[in-house]
Amino acid sequence: MFRIIKKSLRIGVVTGRYQKAEKPELPVAPEAQDKARPFKRSLAIRAVDTGSCNACEMEMNALLNPVYDADRFGIHIAASPRHADALVVTGPVTVNMERALKDVYRQTPDPKIVIALGDCAINCGIFKGSYAVTGPVEQHIPVDVRIPGCPPRPAEILAALSELRKPKG
Amino acid sequence: MSEAMFCDDLLTAAFPGILKHDPICAKSSHFTVPKDRLPAISHYLHTQPSLRGRLTLLWACDDRPVRDSYGLYYLFTLEASHHWVVLSTELAGHDRLFPSITPHIHAAQWYEREIRDMFGLIPQGHPDLRRLVRHEHWPKGTHPLQKDFSWNHVLERQQGEYRFHHIEGEGVFEVPVGPIHAGIIESGHFRFSVAGEPIMQLELRHFWKHRGVEKLFEQLTLTDAVLLAERVSGDTTVGHSLAYCQAVETLLDLQVPRRAQYLRSLFLELERLANHLGDIGAMCNDTAYALAYAHCARMKERVMQLNDRLVGSRFLRGVLQVGGVSWDIDRSQLSILVEELDAIQRDFSEVGAIIFANASLTDRLETTGVLTERIALDHGVTGVVGRASGIDQDVRRDRPFAAYDELPVNVALYRYGDVRARLRVRGDEIHESIRLIREVRDKIPNGPIVSQPRSLPKPGAWTLAAVEGWRGEILYMVMAGEDGRIHRCKVRDPSFVNWPAIQWAVLGNIIPDFPLINKSFNLSYAGNDL
Repeated sequence: MFRIIKKSLRIGVVTGRYQKAEKPELPVAPEAQDKARPFKRSLAIRAVDTGSCNACEMEMNALLNPVYDADRFGIHIAASPRHADALVVTGPVTVNMERALKDVYRQTPDPKIVIALGDCAINCGIFKGSYAVTGPVEQHIPVDVRIPGCPPRPAEILAALSELRKPKG
Repeated sequence: MSEAMFCDDLLTAAFPGILKHDPICAKSSHFTVPKDRLPAISHYLHTQPSLRGRLTLLWACDDRPVRDSYGLYYLFTLEASHHWVVLSTELAGHDRLFPSITPHIHAAQWYEREIRDMFGLIPQGHPDLRRLVRHEHWPKGTHPLQKDFSWNHVLERQQGEYRFHHIEGEGVFEVPVGPIHAGIIESGHFRFSVAGEPIMQLELRHFWKHRGVEKLFEQLTLTDAVLLAERVSGDTTVGHSLAYCQAVETLLDLQVPRRAQYLRSLFLELERLANHLGDIGAMCNDTAYALAYAHCARMKERVMQLNDRLVGSRFLRGVLQVGGVSWDIDRSQLSILVEELDAIQRDFSEVGAIIFANASLTDRLETTGVLTERIALDHGVTGVVGRASGIDQDVRRDRPFAAYDELPVNVALYRYGDVRARLRVRGDEIHESIRLIREVRDKIPNGPIVSQPRSLPKPGAWTLAAVEGWRGEILYMVMAGEDGRIHRCKVRDPSFVNWPAIQWAVLGNIIPDFPLINKSFNLSYAGNDL
């Protein structure tokens, strides 16, 4: 016990020890901000991977570590689309995942926000045109927010999410 | 060399009809065998006590329109010498049938189903001919890796049903999980059959994320395709791009400068370090041990930020190129890096002492998800998972690449095959990686970091390369096409061979322990589905 406390004291608080991203690379549309308003300072996210290389997943996971600690902004990951306010979709939409993506969108209660995370989700990236890819996310479900990058850094994801939920005025 | 001669003599003496070719790379032999003798010869290679070949890779290649045939290639790694033996055969004309070797070499099961889906060639005698890569909604007769299938073909949908294996009996029920999971996890489907809590059967249904990677390779030139190799499995950016670069360099007959070789080893170890730290944390997290998770995730983040400062990418993207590396790291940067890693090592030792002193954690990990050595061998399991089940195998030591010929690796080995063993292997490898990076700093020579290719490879020339990524053995087979393009590129992530083994490791365990067992394997869905 003593060892655990000693270790925690020595390490101190690491939250916030990262290079902040000033502004999101792509501006968040005012319509999306309006849509996010009912959720106030809390956002339950359902992560959907439709064919990413898993780098975007790793950066999403990094958001939950003590350094970025997205929970302090009220952002948490929901275990079911029924509990979600927002869908975060990564990867180009593969032929095998197309139906699952549409299902998950239908099952998420309205109002809901769809966030396309990473270049692949926005424009299919390097996988564009492949027989196994059916196009970017917006071809299948309406997209509200786009966070570009291959993959976007966790700080950039946080910047876009805080821009999305910026108070009016 | 004598080892190679011995193996070749043994094979040619036992099977006089087979034809020997020039080796495709160092420490390898290549034979053409008649199609109908394949099962006998592969069985001999696999079971002969002085050879004991492990089926390492099986791939097909559409050689039309140049030659009116399909090629089939079987790669075996001999147990003692780690020598590669490739058996190849041809299916000429309209012949679409080949004899399955799965009945006596279990490791071939997914490869043969994959070949059937991608090429339309049928493994006769295969016990399970359900679709693997192509889901049931793909129209009949679509085989994407056939040369007359266009890479940007738009698929239509048909009706179809995938038949899972069912267990029937009183109180037996099925639990479907996925493809979308309750966390930030990639997509895949798991079907459990349970009676009460213990798992009686698990069946995987993967390939949801199939992106057509191997077909996309065929649209690129040899030098450009590094970008795609980096994105096969994002967490193994360096592992995949390094294996790809090595294959291409053999084809181009290119000598990579020593300094670049050392830097490659450095990047590979950094990748291993970050992922192992993250894995240990995630495994603890799945036992609800949040403190260990917080510490490990913090240390992983520290390595990722270090990568970012070093080369401008948290995943070390864009650092490798054909012929060498694109980023040099000077002496002062190296010293700072090693200082930082020393601190991380001290940090990790302290956290490790806390983790392993925790009795309730040990209780959750020990005897959970046991993968026996027998089952691991039958599946050809590789990497961390194999080393936790007593399979003493590490490409860095067995077939040294990059600078590992001058950086001897101490291979971590455990025999119990449970979740704890997999955690211990990772823990040991973290210390070993940091030690290797320290050695890189001491030994790295000065000099250029890239050499330019002078000529293009002959169309049809092909080779293989292996790299020990943080998950295990990554293999690339690259065959050159016209004008420096790629005719065929076979990618094999260690996940492809380790996934089927997980179906055995979970038997008798309870469903709530599945996430923990799955995490201890931590396999890539993207690298598996391609």
